[in-house]
Amino acid sequence: MPVARLTLRFFRRELGNRFAGSFTGGLWALLQPLVQLAVYAFVFVHVFKSRIPGADAPGYVPFLVTALWPWTAFSEAIVRSTTAVQDNAALIGKVALPREVLVVATAASSFAVHLAGFVAILVVLALTGQGVSLMGLAPALLLYIPLFALALGIALICAAVQVFVRDLVQALGQIMMLLMFAAPIFYDSMQVPEGVRGWLALNPFTFYADAFRALLLHHGAIDLTRVAFALATAAVVLLLGHSLFRRLDPHFEDFL
Amino acid sequence: MSAVLIEARGLGKAYPKVHRNADRLRALGRLLFNLGDRERVSVLRDVDLDVVRGESLGLIGENGAGKSTLLKLITGVLTPSSGTVRVNGTIGALLELGAGFHPEYSGRENIAMAAALYGLDGALLRERIPKIIAFADIGDYIDEPVKHYSSGMVVRLGFAVIASLKPDLLVTDEVLAVGDESFQKKCVRWIEDYLAGGGTLILVSHSMYHVQKLCRHACWLRGGEIAMQGDVFDVTQAYLAYHEQKSAPSTEAAAARAGLEFSVLGVELNGAGGDQPVVLEYGERLRVAVRMRSRDGRAPSLAVGIVRADGTPVYGVSSDMDGAVPERSGPGEYRGEIEFDGLPLLPGSYSVRVHPMDPEGVRLFDTAERGLVVRGASREFGLVRLAHRWIGAGAGPA
Repeated sequence: MPVARLTLRFFRRELGNRFAGSFTGGLWALLQPLVQLAVYAFVFVHVFKSRIPGADAPGYVPFLVTALWPWTAFSEAIVRSTTAVQDNAALIGKVALPREVLVVATAASSFAVHLAGFVAILVVLALTGQGVSLMGLAPALLLYIPLFALALGIALICAAVQVFVRDLVQALGQIMMLLMFAAPIFYDSMQVPEGVRGWLALNPFTFYADAFRALLLHHGAIDLTRVAFALATAAVVLLLGHSLFRRLDPHFEDFL
Repeated sequence: MSAVLIEARGLGKAYPKVHRNADRLRALGRLLFNLGDRERVSVLRDVDLDVVRGESLGLIGENGAGKSTLLKLITGVLTPSSGTVRVNGTIGALLELGAGFHPEYSGRENIAMAAALYGLDGALLRERIPKIIAFADIGDYIDEPVKHYSSGMVVRLGFAVIASLKPDLLVTDEVLAVGDESFQKKCVRWIEDYLAGGGTLILVSHSMYHVQKLCRHACWLRGGEIAMQGDVFDVTQAYLAYHEQKSAPSTEAAAARAGLEFSVLGVELNGAGGDQPVVLEYGERLRVAVRMRSRDGRAPSLAVGIVRADGTPVYGVSSDMDGAVPERSGPGEYRGEIEFDGLPLLPGSYSVRVHPMDPEGVRLFDTAERGLVVRGASREFGLVRLAHRWIGAGAGPA
């Protein structure tokens, strides 16, 4: 299938772009979240003395890892693919190609990089006895599928809108920061006052943070209605993103 | 396979006017909610075009006439704002420079990507890459990033990729102009083979030589509309005539010239009129024929001179020096004709200047000038070849 092959080619180029010319190459992908994790661990564990309440609560570092890594993949995929169409204006003006390919390849490359880091660090945590259940790894990887679909749906919308309104990518950095703190990544849903907890559920990432922890740390439980709701949300967002992208696609060239 | 390869009906393209950033937001809203645009700049209107398989069409017109826009609509890079275009086959397109190459990547990587964009991938691509590289013939540059290429090299690479794809339709936009002489010849040869093999071509070029050489039909776009369409020679001649008219001196100047005692009506070099330069091979015959008008009916004498492109005089002679008189060709019209057998000008660019003079060959009136290009391979210096021979053993006469 030519479109799939083309996507693969752009995906490989995107991966190459990220590491081409950088000193550490692919290692940087692992290093960056590790440094981030070290900073957060220091601030939250040693400065704020954060602890997850509960008798059999996991340590703060595995608690943070299980939600922060998927979040990094999610938010980076959206932010990077927002400019995917704009950045390839030269190509789009010369060659007829399905433009979704550019967005899919960019989003997929973010997920690929951070998924690899995620697996690596979980294995390390499990081997050093941090209470990570490797049994949960397979279903956790499956969980990345709806997460990717959700990210791709949002990315398609953002990439299409970015062509018309160039401010989007600037605003997006702030929005992502807000969404990060409005999701139970640095804290547990249970720590949030009951009145606010309902609002937290509006953040699409809340489900994923909770679900990853339930699978990998046996912390908390996820009922099936939430799973079904999250799957439906991902599917609807992806369809919406795709149709919006398709609708604006014929006009990209006029505004690039 | 249908015989009609491209079918365009009422094709048009208009761009929305975007002056301020708020316009972009408004345009987005209008597109999302299916409202029409208010202000649009139309660049192409009502184009009906049929191209059958095996046809070769030259697209000509001034800058900004809509040639590139039409090509982009045909290749699917742009979406038409009105009308439809259908293409029943694969397209290989070289639009402007670059063909979408990524400047940071090497030629080799760009070949792979460009071919993949045209659906050529995997084993078939690996098999063809050496051929593509051989065709591009840019030596070790193939592993350098494309940003270090000259524009000619970029075109070589782009053309090599397209040549390997053998598309049903080849679309090229002014790309031959950038390549050097040998690559142009290679491309022209390839296109001729491709056409002989049943390929279809749309060529955009400002070189009427290329258009006439490669195309059987031509389409002339003027201000976003088709001005003329048909046989290549008819259309290119009409197009050139239009340009001559545009660049002709204003009526005021013409009136001033009409007041002259003697004036030039036209100059033909080897039978070719107009104002295009004439190309000769070294040592060929040159015949200059000048039509002149005489206000009082007296026969003028004619001075003909050759100057180098920088204005250095090479040779000049007038009819009265040789005792020749221009022939009367009509009421108040005279025709003077001179022939240089085996013109000894060395390869280069020259101008032929003609002046009508009074019958005594004293006063010089009007001036007309035509370009002359002498082609050939020679390492001699200067302007003309002087007859010579080397003295000594082993040296024959020149």
